[in-house]
Amino acid sequence: MKKLSVSLLAIAVAGSAHAADMGAVDEPIKLAINEWTGQHVTTHVAGEMLKAAGYNVEYVTAGMMNQFQALADGDIDATLEIWSSNVSDEYAKKVDEGTVVEIGDLGLNAKEGIAYPAHVADLCPGLPAWEALKECAQVFATAETLPGGRLVDYPADWGTPGADRMTGLELPFKAVPAGSEGALIAELRASTERKSPLLITFWQPHWAMSAYDVQFVELPAGEEACFNDPSWGPNPNAINDCDFSPSRIFKAGWSGMADKWPAAYEILTNYQLAVEDQQPMMGAIDVDGGAVEEVVATWMAENEGKWRPVVDAATQ
Amino acid sequence: MTAVTDLPVPQARLTAGAQAALITVIVGAVCLALEGVAPWLVKWPTAWELPATQWVGAFLDWFLNGIKPAMRLFSDLMTYPMDAANYALGNTPWPILIGIVTALGWYLGGLPMAALGFIGLSFVLASGYWAESMNTLALVAVSVPVALIMGGAIGILANEVPRVKVFVQAVLDIMQTVPTFAYLTPLLLLFGFGPVVGLIASAIYAAPPMARNVMLGLERVESEIKEAAIMSGGTRFQQLFQVEIPAATTQIMVGVNQCLMAALSMVIIAAVIGGFNDIGWEVLLTMRKAQFGESLMAGLVIVVFAVVIDRMSGTLATERKRYDKRVVWAVLGFAVLFTAAFWAWLPNPSDLTVLDPMAGAIDSSLTAFTQANGPWLDALKNNSLFYVLLPLRIGLDQAVLPFTWGFQWTPSMSWGLFAAGTVVALLMAWRGHLTGGLVALILIGMLETGIANLPWPFVLTGAAALGWVAGGWRLAALSVGLLCTILVSGLWERALLSLYLSGAAVFSCAVLGGLIGLASAVWKPVWTIVRPICDMLQTIPLFVFLIPVLMVFQIGEFSAFLAICAYAIVPMIRYTRHGLVNTPEEMMEAAISSGATEWQIMRDVRAPYAAPTILLGLNQTILYAFAMLVIAALIGTTGLGQSIYLALGQADVGLGISAGAAMAILALIADRMVQGFAEERRKALGL
Repeated sequence: MKKLSVSLLAIAVAGSAHAADMGAVDEPIKLAINEWTGQHVTTHVAGEMLKAAGYNVEYVTAGMMNQFQALADGDIDATLEIWSSNVSDEYAKKVDEGTVVEIGDLGLNAKEGIAYPAHVADLCPGLPAWEALKECAQVFATAETLPGGRLVDYPADWGTPGADRMTGLELPFKAVPAGSEGALIAELRASTERKSPLLITFWQPHWAMSAYDVQFVELPAGEEACFNDPSWGPNPNAINDCDFSPSRIFKAGWSGMADKWPAAYEILTNYQLAVEDQQPMMGAIDVDGGAVEEVVATWMAENEGKWRPVVDAATQ
Repeated sequence: MTAVTDLPVPQARLTAGAQAALITVIVGAVCLALEGVAPWLVKWPTAWELPATQWVGAFLDWFLNGIKPAMRLFSDLMTYPMDAANYALGNTPWPILIGIVTALGWYLGGLPMAALGFIGLSFVLASGYWAESMNTLALVAVSVPVALIMGGAIGILANEVPRVKVFVQAVLDIMQTVPTFAYLTPLLLLFGFGPVVGLIASAIYAAPPMARNVMLGLERVESEIKEAAIMSGGTRFQQLFQVEIPAATTQIMVGVNQCLMAALSMVIIAAVIGGFNDIGWEVLLTMRKAQFGESLMAGLVIVVFAVVIDRMSGTLATERKRYDKRVVWAVLGFAVLFTAAFWAWLPNPSDLTVLDPMAGAIDSSLTAFTQANGPWLDALKNNSLFYVLLPLRIGLDQAVLPFTWGFQWTPSMSWGLFAAGTVVALLMAWRGHLTGGLVALILIGMLETGIANLPWPFVLTGAAALGWVAGGWRLAALSVGLLCTILVSGLWERALLSLYLSGAAVFSCAVLGGLIGLASAVWKPVWTIVRPICDMLQTIPLFVFLIPVLMVFQIGEFSAFLAICAYAIVPMIRYTRHGLVNTPEEMMEAAISSGATEWQIMRDVRAPYAAPTILLGLNQTILYAFAMLVIAALIGTTGLGQSIYLALGQADVGLGISAGAAMAILALIADRMVQGFAEERRKALGL
């Protein structure tokens, strides 16, 4: 409450155009905690920023695919790491309804692609160039995919970007959907431990990128033309003969948030987190076994310059 | 194909089974013969599909929005007991809770039960998941009473109004066979986000066993007792609550026990939605990172709860004896004193990491295992796929390739196979086994085509034929009617894929589980080892087993097949053993006195007598296999399970419910048919 009066005073005195009203500070702002570590880091950093601004924050576990109904009902106030490559149709429905609003990019520079654990380069010399895959499809072949090689694709409900690449580039691979993220990780782990061949659709930032030394295959750049114009790229007869279109990571909030907590809304809208910041924190949690709260607290203490200005801009 | 249709059959000897099989053979042959001319006979044309999933979706949207306010009110009301249970369990110091459980164990079952409660909860404490476990317990503590009231009310209703009994049975079947994932989206819409949805999902799943046992218990109340109640002039209400229900207590307690177990097995589903930091959420998090050791530990916490709750509520159902209350007070007093005395030094249970090294050790031994045994495990997987699963799915004509079998399948080989099948059928018919011969021919035909490529008229005819033999024309009509709804809804291909995968799993479980059950019945030490494994397989969240299976066999059908088998084999083992062990004494004595050998007794007395029980086990195995299909979709299978996940991800109510309904339809038809056959066997045995 002290902070509130201070900031109100600041508004009154300075008449600053940027400082927003704090709103209902007594009521906790509920942030969604989804199933993956990177999101936990993202959310806890944002939560700490809100706390620094004088808000109560509550972390609520929520299934990534099922959270939008809760967001629309105001049972959750914001969710801070939505991947455009992996967002359910329901999100679009709720945005159309006007119950959920997008609140800006997270600024996390994500990359998706066709990837392989480092040891696979020995089995298929010529990697990371994508042309090498034409020759060594046999290496990746399994019982289900013979005579083609096997590409482990995203779970079916995330779409089939891997399969699209294989068709576009006319690579002799058959895409097998993974079913779940756990299945993708189990494949990576088994391949690394057994030194067996593996081609997989994967993304970064992800803790497994460093844990299993995952490398991306170099594909022709994913320009807009590639997805519309068949004549573009190495295969003159197909679209998708290139890398993934860059995926966007953004935040979304309950539509009532801007009125209920104006300053918090502004903080979350302007909040950004870089891969270079998120990835080491993920490593500290998943590889070194640290607790999210402690890892985030350490980072907040050491990097005040990166987040304090956003909080100050909204409250002072 | 003409060889098949012109089969010389002496009309006079046609039994019902033979007629049914003959019709199926003819339809199958016609479909195969006309494959080139009329492709619509093999594959249901997309143009004939109705947009049923969209209709279902639109209707449900309208319906759900209509009843939403009432449901939201209910949901708001439920948060009170939920919060209260959460608060009470979360804030009770752990020594007191362990004391209460130990004391309860003593009261119900003496020293062994007290020890079980104490050791079980100590394990939970040591695992570091105490706080999460208490959240889970709070969920169970609220959902079980809801399920008990719901189940009890349904059971009493069916007992009081006999006309609705058939309808109630159908509703209970639906509640148990439609996969929970299929209706999570509508539940979310109705009840809002949070633990209440998980609570309701688990109550829906846990109520049917209670209802069934209440019905059974009330049915079995002896008529003298009922008459005495009527004669003493009580109202119907008094008769029911003061006489009949108390008389049925034992059976109702079995229902309570089953209800508790079912509610606990749904914990993980509640976690998929979230809103609640419980043990299921931990399993999901560790599963997502493929950390087998950690997820096994979290899963074992659920197993511990299941075992403690099962054994304690089990004594409620079976034993009347209660133990000395003074010991109860002593244990409770000690717990309170302990808490008071060491209050300042009590460790925060979330910081305990006693079992972490164990989790790490399990994880690294899995790594060592996959590294050491890679080649032969791969060979096992490839051979099973090449020679069993692929031919079953897509048929010999597509599965036999130079890469797999070393040669290419040709149409003349198909003809040769059919000719051989016909010869076998004729030979068997000549020996008097006409039905057997025809069935053999049908099976050979199915192997050539593959289950996923079976022509739809053949499947419908086959289902009708089986239904007719198992339960008369009504079952046949029901089967065909329900299958037709899948056909026109456009889910047919996926349904066939699901049928293939669960069919293969059920077949393997029947053979392997039957053998293990036989071994356990004959030789006691086997059962001592097998029993705890069965207990664990049934209560641990199945997600946990997906990790090692994936690590060893990678994504694909073989892994899914194994995961389904691991779960579905348990009832087959249990029921086979149970049936074989419980042969009535008189029959055994008669057999022994007539000088039969051990093997003869098994073959001629025990096995036929156990047949209805074993068929019931097969029935359960089928239902379990279908239930597991959804979980197996996490490994990456195609079929209805995948549709349900897709629908969950896309919040597509229509697709989810339709796919769930299709799965329930397949399970129901299989269930009714096996029950029909079991009934026939029972009648033949005069039971």
